[in-house]
Amino acid sequence: MIEVHDLVKRYGQATAVKGISFTAHPGQVTGFLGPNGAGKTTTMRMLTGFLPPTSGKAVVAGYDVFEQSMEVRKRVGYLPENVPLYRDMTALSYLMYMGEIRGISNRRQKAQEVLERVALADRANSRIRTLSKGMRQRVGLAQALLHDPEVLILDEPTIGLDPFQVLELRELVRELGKSHTLLFSTHILSEAEQVCDNIIIINHGQIITEGSPAELRSQLERGGRVLLRVNVPADTALPAIQALKEVANASLNNDSIVAVPANPNVDPRPAIARAVIDKGWDLVELRPLAVNLEEIFLEVTRREDETTAAEPTAAPAESEAAQ
Amino acid sequence: MRQIFAVFKRELGLYFRSPVAYAITFALLLFFGLQFSSAVTSANGQAPADALNYVPSLLTFLMFLVAPLLTMRLLAEETREGTLEVIMTMPIRESQFIIGKFLAVWAFYTVILLLTVVYHLILTTIGIPDYGRAFSMYLGAWLYGGATLALAMIWSAVTEDQVVAAFLGAATVLVFYLSNVAATAVSNLPNVSEGLGAFIRELGLQSHYETTLLNGIVRAEDILYFVFLIVAALFITTRIVEVRRWRS
Repeated sequence: MIEVHDLVKRYGQATAVKGISFTAHPGQVTGFLGPNGAGKTTTMRMLTGFLPPTSGKAVVAGYDVFEQSMEVRKRVGYLPENVPLYRDMTALSYLMYMGEIRGISNRRQKAQEVLERVALADRANSRIRTLSKGMRQRVGLAQALLHDPEVLILDEPTIGLDPFQVLELRELVRELGKSHTLLFSTHILSEAEQVCDNIIIINHGQIITEGSPAELRSQLERGGRVLLRVNVPADTALPAIQALKEVANASLNNDSIVAVPANPNVDPRPAIARAVIDKGWDLVELRPLAVNLEEIFLEVTRREDETTAAEPTAAPAESEAAQ
Repeated sequence: MRQIFAVFKRELGLYFRSPVAYAITFALLLFFGLQFSSAVTSANGQAPADALNYVPSLLTFLMFLVAPLLTMRLLAEETREGTLEVIMTMPIRESQFIIGKFLAVWAFYTVILLLTVVYHLILTTIGIPDYGRAFSMYLGAWLYGGATLALAMIWSAVTEDQVVAAFLGAATVLVFYLSNVAATAVSNLPNVSEGLGAFIRELGLQSHYETTLLNGIVRAEDILYFVFLIVAALFITTRIVEVRRWRS
């Protein structure tokens, strides 16, 4: 269980985390989703006791991270972003060193167990410097799992891995989430969708929105531009799409059409699909233009800018059309 | 205790696997050996009075080089590699981590010091050295080494650049080593009370070693001086690590 109340971190003039509050429940994977520099790492560092918060309160595994840091540290497994390891040690001796600091009595056995769990048992006696990036990531993860902690905090565990390793790691995270309180961060939307039970979107040190993957996807896609491809030349199809009342405006984008919805709360895709079929064309692709987080952020911020710009004048649809 | 011992064991093991540590030890022993042999040869068959304190005296002088070279890595590397972040989220206090590291480097220094005992054994073949005095000068060299290592280690916590840490460490140890020179200079100034010069002299390393322990005089104040220096330096190092983490 992680409970965070109004956590703030200030570095001199800059405020990295501007008062965030959330709860991560046991048996769930909670995802921190946000672009680089959003405050994900700072928040995680505060939760692990590495950084003291400027103000606010965080309770991890029943203990206050600031007042009872040692108790929290005993119950948290942490994988920092760049996976710092002692590169001259072997994987096994590294885990045994960490186990000794943690005071684990049967640490050789424990270390071998976690190495098996992360599928590294055959490289136990290899020096960490000779391991690949993905293997090092797994050594870091093994370190976080060594003492069977209640709470796992993983900072961008899939960064820098090849697609196959990413899949393996996501599988492992999902499995670990069933038995732990697991907080992990990523800047890839699809990853958060696949792995998390609850996603917290954070940007500029603030929580923008929070919810289950399905809720968030519909929330983020609402009002977003739609990309359409049909089996006839795009400029032929363009007038038909522009004529739809659900579409405020449509324009060409290479061989596809980008349509802006007239009402941000109504998804224009069903109407577009019907129109394409009615015309007798084949629908090749119809999807939200924004598929990854960066694009969604651009969409969300674009929409926010337009809403504020449109307020003094007329309806949002008109301002869109004017563009 | 458990945490201190875990860190101590790992660090000491690293010294014995580090080519740098072996190179330092090799250079020191070669240098001592040449110096010792020329001292004995020039004494023409008689055990010279100063052959006994030759090696401890040289070793303590050279600590301004040895201490930074042995300690520069200790914390600078952990900060640079980011491993400090992992350690500082483990159930271990900064002080335990730093004490463990310090004890490891001090233990390695002790090994170097014990290797120089061989020169004493050689002296026993041509005379009967004063064992009491030998004990005193080795006790002094051991404490002296601990104090300079602790002083040099402070800079390893300040910067993540090992070369910078080594230079600043060497400068710090030299300041403490040369404070009796500064004391003489201050005493010679007009209108300065004698107390100031004496105070500066007492702060320095030499006045607690060269004139006392090296000559077989074991005084509680000298031992306390070195112990205090070690404790103070470790305390400062701990505070620096804490502050750097809180500001990072």
